[in-house]
Amino acid sequence: MLNGKLIGRRIAVTLGLALFASNALAQTAYRIQVDGLACPFCAYGIEKKLGAIAGVARVETDIAAGTVTATMADGATMDEASATRAVQEAGFSLRGFEALGQAAANGAGAGAK
Amino acid sequence: MKLRFLIRLGARIGIALGFLAAVIWLAFIPSPKEPPYTFVGAWGGKGHAPGQFDDPTGIAVAGEEVFVADSRNDRIQVFDLQGRFKRQFGSAGAAPGQLGRPMNLAVRDGRLYVAEYVNDRIQVFGLDGTPRAIIGGPGSGPGQFNAPGGVALAANGDLIVADFYNQRVQQLKADGSFVRQWGRTGVIGIGAGQFNYPTDVAVGTDGTVFVADGYNDRIQAFAADGAFSHKWGGPLAMNVFGPFPGWFATVTSLAVDGRGQLFAADFYNHRVQKFSADGTFLTQFGSRGEGRGRFEYVIAVAVAADESVFAVDFGNQRVTRWRPQADSVRDPRP
Repeated sequence: MLNGKLIGRRIAVTLGLALFASNALAQTAYRIQVDGLACPFCAYGIEKKLGAIAGVARVETDIAAGTVTATMADGATMDEASATRAVQEAGFSLRGFEALGQAAANGAGAGAK
Repeated sequence: MKLRFLIRLGARIGIALGFLAAVIWLAFIPSPKEPPYTFVGAWGGKGHAPGQFDDPTGIAVAGEEVFVADSRNDRIQVFDLQGRFKRQFGSAGAAPGQLGRPMNLAVRDGRLYVAEYVNDRIQVFGLDGTPRAIIGGPGSGPGQFNAPGGVALAANGDLIVADFYNQRVQQLKADGSFVRQWGRTGVIGIGAGQFNYPTDVAVGTDGTVFVADGYNDRIQAFAADGAFSHKWGGPLAMNVFGPFPGWFATVTSLAVDGRGQLFAADFYNHRVQKFSADGTFLTQFGSRGEGRGRFEYVIAVAVAADESVFAVDFGNQRVTRWRPQADSVRDPRP
């Protein structure tokens, strides 16, 4: 009976650690809203500036929707100030900054342009 | 009594406004001096296969071949003048022969010059796709680039480069050494010789350097000695955009034909405009849409020796071909 409780506790701890690790190492993605994003000179400029931020693994632009999705390397994050600076350097103003969940992040690449 | 006064005052104001509108129209909205070009055909479609595009952004013609910058596919595709695929070269990366978002192109003396927006360089290829040279690198110093958008060649072989985020145009020797620049590095301006994200350049038959001053919605011209010559695009060519003839809504590409006439890709107006070298409006063609003769953002333009004009339809992921109407071909105008 005691052994059973111990085993159950160890399983619970192991599962908890695994869940924590998977969250910590998950690829985080951010959806960034920018006005006037129609020309590729603008889109590539934003991709280039955002791509230069440490930890950014992939940047994809949906020109029609005016959104940029930045996917981070495992465990990396981006703060809004860095995103704002990069978008301003590209000649635009940031209109929205939203962290996407892991599932959304995984799906973002497939849906983005 | 008061009502009659107000009516008379209103009528006079209406007449004055109408007169003012007529003056503005006559002063700033020119009439075409040639018929528009005729749509001949188109090729492309979105994808990664040969003959398909993922963001076509640049074009150049060399003899019987059309070179297209297929930007998100990081490659150059080559077609014959009818749009039949011939070959392709380039892949994503920064090694010699690889490309990082190729933009406006130029061809001269058997070489293709590619402005690489992400790699901050001009890469030179043989027309068969063999990488020949890399000019420049990232930065804001002399001979460096921050997102070059377009390149042209002077008669002596010097490169003229639209250095987009550095807000300048640079002239470099063929080995990349600095000759001079127009515009103040990193400073946007609307005065003569200043730029607001220059996107492309072209060299006229007399050596004049034409600059697509993208977000100033105008074209600026500089004499071969570098001195400012003239500018046009909207009232006083001072960052006023609009849909009227001779106005622009972001100029993204320039091309000069054998007679020194200039073609401009007018991106947000979904049309190509044609001018004489002094900026006189000659004609325009294209309108927004998906069908024949329509554009969804025209981004680049090139002209062949036979006077065919090739325009890149960015949003519809295709290249379109146009011909001048027969009477305008036979009627050489200044």
